Amino acid sequence: MKTATGYILLTAAALWMATVPVMAQSTATANVTVNATVAATAKLTLSANTVSFADADPDTTPNIAAAAITVGAKAKTTGSGAVTLAVQAGGPLTSGSDTIAASNLTWTTTGAGFVAGTMSSAAAQSLGAWTGPGNNSGTQTYSFANSWSYATGNYAMTVTYTLTAP
Amino acid sequence: MRLVLLAGVALVGLLAAVLPAPAASLAQSVSASANIAAIAKLALTPASLLFPDADPDLSPSIPSSNGPITITAKARSSPGSQVTLTMLANDDLRSGMDTIPIGALTWATTGNGFLNGTASRTSSQTVATWVGSGTHVGTQAFSLANTWQRAMGTYTVSLVYTLTAP
Repeated sequence: MKTATGYILLTAAALWMATVPVMAQSTATANVTVNATVAATAKLTLSANTVSFADADPDTTPNIAAAAITVGAKAKTTGSGAVTLAVQAGGPLTSGSDTIAASNLTWTTTGAGFVAGTMSSAAAQSLGAWTGPGNNSGTQTYSFANSWSYATGNYAMTVTYTLTAP
Repeated sequence: MRLVLLAGVALVGLLAAVLPAPAASLAQSVSASANIAAIAKLALTPASLLFPDADPDLSPSIPSSNGPITITAKARSSPGSQVTLTMLANDDLRSGMDTIPIGALTWATTGNGFLNGTASRTSSQTVATWVGSGTHVGTQAFSLANTWQRAMGTYTVSLVYTLTAP
């Protein structure tokens, strides 16, 4: 009797389960937006902040070279952004009331994007130009035009380097 | 609320597209210096003078047979300072025990700053004078006063030139 009742209940349950549909698995989604800010950044490194030219005989040394400066120009900008590095003298080489024109200072360079040039106190001169972000490294070697016409003295001048990343 | 939040996000996105990205600019200075010391350099061509024998009646003054001396004087000096070229004979013209007074030797010059003069063995004579730094080129043509009161012989003397750049 016991057995028959259990059997009947099991069958009823099985019969009920066969007629009731199986419930579907449920999912939920949500979005997360990731924002990363990359701003325009410029970083300039120079291996030396002084350049010196020793006295020399103009006949044997018409151009006096200084030790090379290693220049590092790092910039983060748009993919087509024009990154520029320029130099400009604050005035002529000056010793008291005597001057030597800044244009007597020239330079040569190594490294992709770096260009040779002649110093000017009137306008910034291009030292390097690149497109887009990057880490640019090169060298700049200054040369001073020697002459018998210079008055004796210790001349000095400040050169400003400007790196711009739009 | 949700609709308002979405609209706010969309508005910010629109503004970001319209406004230009901020630029980055970096400046750094380098000091350049040049030492210009006093220096003097002198070149004389030729290094010897020849006066052939001549009839005093026909040639009361004998010019040197190998032309004038070309003088190249280069000097760097302090501003406004006087650069001088002087000459001093070490003796009278001498041939053994016989002498011709050094005052018999005179010269005429060409070139800016160069002066005519008479040789002396007692005091330096100015050949040229300039102000400040520069390169100067001129000529010095010597003449020897001829006279019958000369003992025969081969006479010599040394002339010492001194270029001073203070």
